[in-house]
Amino acid sequence: MKVIRLTDNNQAKVIKEAIKIIKNLGLVVFPTDTVYGLLIDATNEKAVKKLLKFKNRPAGKAISVFVNDLVMLKDNVKVNNKQEKMLDQILPGHFTVVLSSRHKVSKLLESEKGTLGVRFIKYKPIIDLVKKYGKPLTATSANLASRSPHHSVESLFNELSETKKKMIDLVVDAGKLPPNKPSTVIDLTSEKLKIIRQGDMVFNQSQSFISSSEDETKKIASFILQKLLKVKNADLRSLTFIIEGDLGVGKTIFVKGIGEYLGWDDIISPTFVVYYEYPLLKKFSFKKLYHFDLYQLTDTEEFKYLGINEILNDKNILCIEWGEKAGEIMELLKKKSKIVYVNMKYVDEKKRKIIVNY
Amino acid sequence: MKILAIDTSCDETSAAVVDGRRVLSNVIYSQVLLHKKWGGVVPSIAKRAHEERIDFVVDEALKKSKFQISNVKHSFDICHLDFDIKNSMSKIDYLAVTYGPGLAVALEVGIKKVKELSKKYNKKIIPVNHMEGHIYSCFTQNSKGNPKREFTFPYLVLLVSGGHTEIVLWKDYLDFQIIGKTTDDAAGEALDKAAKMLGLGYPGGPVIERLAEEAGNVDPYKFPRPMRKSGDLNFSFSGLKTAFYYFLQKMPEEEKNKMIKELVSSFQEAVFDSLLIKTEAAIKQIGIINLVVAGGVAANRELRKRMKNLAKKYKGSVVYPPYKYLNGDNAAMIGVAAFFKAKAGIFVKHIEAFDRIPRLSL
Repeated sequence: MKVIRLTDNNQAKVIKEAIKIIKNLGLVVFPTDTVYGLLIDATNEKAVKKLLKFKNRPAGKAISVFVNDLVMLKDNVKVNNKQEKMLDQILPGHFTVVLSSRHKVSKLLESEKGTLGVRFIKYKPIIDLVKKYGKPLTATSANLASRSPHHSVESLFNELSETKKKMIDLVVDAGKLPPNKPSTVIDLTSEKLKIIRQGDMVFNQSQSFISSSEDETKKIASFILQKLLKVKNADLRSLTFIIEGDLGVGKTIFVKGIGEYLGWDDIISPTFVVYYEYPLLKKFSFKKLYHFDLYQLTDTEEFKYLGINEILNDKNILCIEWGEKAGEIMELLKKKSKIVYVNMKYVDEKKRKIIVNY
Repeated sequence: MKILAIDTSCDETSAAVVDGRRVLSNVIYSQVLLHKKWGGVVPSIAKRAHEERIDFVVDEALKKSKFQISNVKHSFDICHLDFDIKNSMSKIDYLAVTYGPGLAVALEVGIKKVKELSKKYNKKIIPVNHMEGHIYSCFTQNSKGNPKREFTFPYLVLLVSGGHTEIVLWKDYLDFQIIGKTTDDAAGEALDKAAKMLGLGYPGGPVIERLAEEAGNVDPYKFPRPMRKSGDLNFSFSGLKTAFYYFLQKMPEEEKNKMIKELVSSFQEAVFDSLLIKTEAAIKQIGIINLVVAGGVAANRELRKRMKNLAKKYKGSVVYPPYKYLNGDNAAMIGVAAFFKAKAGIFVKHIEAFDRIPRLSL
């Protein structure tokens, strides 16, 4: 293991030395904008394996990579127009952006979903090094798995056994790094959920309303609910409201209206916990009101844990916000409940158009 | 008094051993660690994940609590592993578990586990409200008993996270009264959603904090401060969300991208202003000047700064969770809250009938 001190005037020389080592699949400890990092050639599987062995990192844990500009970034992950404009504004910076990998780096660095974390930072030695090398380098902190990262080479050495130290080929020491926070992770990958299309459902009735206040939205909701409750033993199944509409259009307000009619006046957004349940009085002949918010759901896998099948085995009322994401379980919902499809649209800042199909 | 506490209220499986206010061990197993992932990016609704990990997490918490000293000899022997746990359990006085508020299917896992332990080792269960835990997080100590904060009741508590936004009047150890709450979205949720509208992905809170900081926490857009004049201490963030959505709709794409830092900074200011306005109103109305700020959003440095200034203005004080892990969900704070409940003799009476309450209130 070789240790060289990085100073203000030997940067070019240090970078040259580091590149030589990295080219030979070596492991380099190098200063970054946050803590000391472990650098290897991210495109070389053998080198990556060496890194994983050093870190004792379990397989399947993703590791992000450094790039030196947006060109190299786009070369390694898929970026659409919209994302590119945004990245333009926030990079270089203290962020790790997660996007779909183009699989040019070793697969071992990607997540199970094939995403890759990319860092484009302002720290000059790293930028210059990656630029000169021409390929992305790993951007993982120089510490063993589940231990804290290091701001100085000294503290790193204190943690390492002799065997581990031998695995390192070069240490670039820049003294004590300022105590910066780790980078903030931004996941920009898109969702992989089946979206409900209008054609998936056939309805008998359709009604449109214009609401000009939250109170009116609530009244419309309770009006629809009352109408459905009055239909005598037409349906012994559960009742499912699928509510779709943009952020802030008033989906939760609609559910508040339903809740208030059923005796619950403290309905709040369930986004954070996915759903809340509210037991109902006997007179309603439905056991519970379930208020779902599928906003956070990004993966079909997650539906499994919601227990919707069990909920539908009883006679319940379900209100599902971001219901368009329920494409995956549409068949189940259709089979086991009566569906009311609510579409909410902005007319202007106060007014909403509410279309109800059932 | 040693308590083994469990929290599975949302997407972190956590167990801790506390001795009074001191945390002997705290193990948090979040989806983040299991699925590799990226520091809390992927939110999950993980009944199965909780079920898979709860045993491991409880065992780890017991092991790490370091009071199985008398048994070190045996710990090398695999056959004695169960004996170790048994030995550790014999040093535990009580069990504690979060029974709400939270995600029903997640809460169930912790409750089931604690019932099982209660039966096996014949220990009483202390039921804990997750929000009591967050409040006590500000008075949770490390294993050495630091920080040594003393209680100076009464307090005004601002509880602010992705799932909660409440002002609580905390008169005495177990005397909580909600005097203000959100009528729709939580503050942290509003921040997450604003980030989403700008395509900033998830989680939005920390990204916004960072971008706002880079913009110098400026407020060029002056979004509405909802419920400013409502006269009560309640919050609402859905109106702000709508205003923001509309504002973005009208803004040309180019400008939106150019001003992204200013936009999120302004949005964060609007959210924090609402928090500040109502907290200040509560100070004036109730006359209590000692503040406690807890929950995930309490980790935000800008909010901390503004709360500190507010307390200063009224010559009061403000405390936050002393360690980073205490901002998020964890079982340590549940154990500390349980300690004070146990002292007051609050235990689950009918263990069979003990169930989760997803919308539990203070």
